[in-house]
Amino acid sequence: MKKIVAFIVVIFFACSAIAQKQIFTIQLHHKVGKENLSLLDKTYFNAFNEPFTVQKFRYYISNIILIDDEQKRYNFSEQYFLIDEADSATKIIQLQTNIQHVRQIQFLLGVDSIKNVSGVQEGALDPMKGMFWTWKSGYIFAKLEGQSDSSHLPSHYFTYHIGGINQNENALRVVQLNIPVTYNQSKKIIHIDANILQWFSSVHSIKIASTGYCHQPGALAVAIADNYSKMFSISK
Amino acid sequence: MKLFSTILLFVFFVVIAVSFTQQNFSPKRIAFIVPKGWPKPVYDFEKNPITEEGFALGKKLFYDARLSKDGNISCGSCHQQFAAFATYEHNLSHGIANSFTTRNAPALQNLAWTKDFMWDGGINHLDVQPLAPLTNEHEMGETVEHVIAKLKDDIAYKKLFAAAFGDEKITAKKMMQALSQFMLMMVSSNSKYDKVMRGEAEFILPEKLGYEIFQKKCVACHTEPLFTDFTYRNVGIPMDNILKDSGRMKISGDRNDSLKFRVPSLRNIALTAPYGHDGRFFDLLNVFEHYRKNMQPIFNTDPVFKNKMALSNFEIGQLKAFLYTLTDSTFIRDARFAEPGNEGNFKAPVDFHQ
Repeated sequence: MKKIVAFIVVIFFACSAIAQKQIFTIQLHHKVGKENLSLLDKTYFNAFNEPFTVQKFRYYISNIILIDDEQKRYNFSEQYFLIDEADSATKIIQLQTNIQHVRQIQFLLGVDSIKNVSGVQEGALDPMKGMFWTWKSGYIFAKLEGQSDSSHLPSHYFTYHIGGINQNENALRVVQLNIPVTYNQSKKIIHIDANILQWFSSVHSIKIASTGYCHQPGALAVAIADNYSKMFSISK
Repeated sequence: MKLFSTILLFVFFVVIAVSFTQQNFSPKRIAFIVPKGWPKPVYDFEKNPITEEGFALGKKLFYDARLSKDGNISCGSCHQQFAAFATYEHNLSHGIANSFTTRNAPALQNLAWTKDFMWDGGINHLDVQPLAPLTNEHEMGETVEHVIAKLKDDIAYKKLFAAAFGDEKITAKKMMQALSQFMLMMVSSNSKYDKVMRGEAEFILPEKLGYEIFQKKCVACHTEPLFTDFTYRNVGIPMDNILKDSGRMKISGDRNDSLKFRVPSLRNIALTAPYGHDGRFFDLLNVFEHYRKNMQPIFNTDPVFKNKMALSNFEIGQLKAFLYTLTDSTFIRDARFAEPGNEGNFKAPVDFHQ
C-alpha cells in the first residue's frame, strides 16, 4: 500500500517538473511624467501646459521577443496582451520561458496585420474588448481617453483611438528596450514604465486644444503612434 | 488497498465522463455546394465548417431582435427574405429609436464569394461583418459585450452554442461564426438566367436581346456569374448633400476614391429596389436615366462613362427583360432561410445542383 502511494507521489512530481517552465514576468507601470497614473481623480499637465485627466488607457502588446546575452531570441508570437490601466492584473505579463538573463526586450505595440484580416478572434483579441473598429475592420492598438479644459469637444472630452495597418497609415510600432547590465534579474522580473506624456510631445506636437480626437487610421493616428511608441522605458 | 481501488474507480469515472461529453458533441456537417461553373469561394470553410447546429444557431441569432439595443431590430428586420434579404421598398432602412440608416441595405446572397463587405468595402471578413450593424447607432445600437451578456442569460442559447461548438460558453467568436454559417448558405443560383445557362430553359426574345445588350454595355463591371467584379467605382453619382457620403474614400483615405462605391450584384435586382448606395434611384428606369442622361462625371469617374452611356428606349426595355431573369424564386422561398414561424409558408426548394 505504502509503495503504491509513494509511486503515485513520485510520478506526480516527475510530471510537474517536466511540465514546469520558468515564468518570466514583465510588470508595466503607467506614469504621467514622474507620477503614477491615477484614473479619473487627478489632473496632469502635458508639455503644452494643457490640463487633463485620464479615464481610459489601454494598449496591445504582442509578438514579444526576449533576447539573452548570447543574442538567442525567445519568441512569443501567438500571444496577445491587452494592457488596461483599469485592470491591474493585465499589467503583469507572464511568459513561460527558460531564458536565464534578458539583455533586450522587443515587442509589437499593436496587433499584427494578419490578425486584422483573419476574421473574428478570441481572448485578448475578442471584439468584445471594445478594441475593434466595426465599420472599418481592424484593431485599435491603443486608446487614451479623458477630459481636458483645453478640449473643444462636447464635455471637454479628448479621445485618441489609434490603429491602422495599411500602407501610409501603418500605426504598428516595434518597441526595443535594452536592459541595463546592472539590472537585477534574480527574481525573473523586469519593470517597464509607460509614460503617457509622450503621447503628446515625444516626436510630434499633439495639442488637445487643436487635436481633441482621433478615431480612425490615417496621418494623425500615425503621428500619435510615433509619439506613444516612445513611451516605454526600463524602470529606474 | 482500499485507496488504490478508490483511485481506480475515480479514474474510471473520469474516463467515462470525458468520453460521454465528447460523444455528445457530434455536429452534422452541411456540404457547401459550389454551383457548376462558379469560381472558388473566398471564404475559408476549414476554419468554420458549416454544421446543422451552427446553421440553426446562426439562424436564431439572425432573427433575434434582442441583438439590438431596444429589442426591436434583428438582422432580418432590414434583410428580408422576400426582398432577397435587402429591405423591401426602402431607400434607407430603419434602425433603433426611429433612426434611419445612411445607406441602402444590400441583398444578402452568395457571400461565400465576397471578400470585402459594405458599399465602401470597409469590412474585410464575413465573420466580423455583423459587428458593424450590431454596433452602429443608426442600426442596432448595441455593444458586443452587452449582446453577449444578453445571450448568456438565455438557457436556450446555451444549449444551441453547446450543440454547435461543443461547449456552452458563449463568445463573440462563436456568435459571429454561427451567423456566418447561416449566411454562407444563402446561395442564389436558380434564377431563369441560371437555368438558361445550364440548358434547362430558354430566354424569350426580349430577354435574349437584353442579354446581348448586357454583354456589350454592362458585363465589364457586372461580371457573370456573380454579376459584380467586386471593385469600387465612381459612376458619376453626385454626393447627396444631406448624407455627405464620400464612399470608398472614407476607408482608403485616398482622394482618388472619392464617391466610389462597390459594384452591386444584379442578382435578384427586380426585388431590391430602390437602387444605388443611398437608394436614390426609385426604379430601374431611374438607373437607366442616370447612365444615359443624369450622371455627373468627375475626375475619377470610370473612363467608360466619359460620354455617359448611350441607351435607347428600346435597349432599356430589352435590358429590363433580361434583368428580370435574374430573380431567383427558389431562393426567396427557401424554408431554410425563412424567419422562424414562416417556414411552413414555403415548399422545400428543388435542388438544381445535383
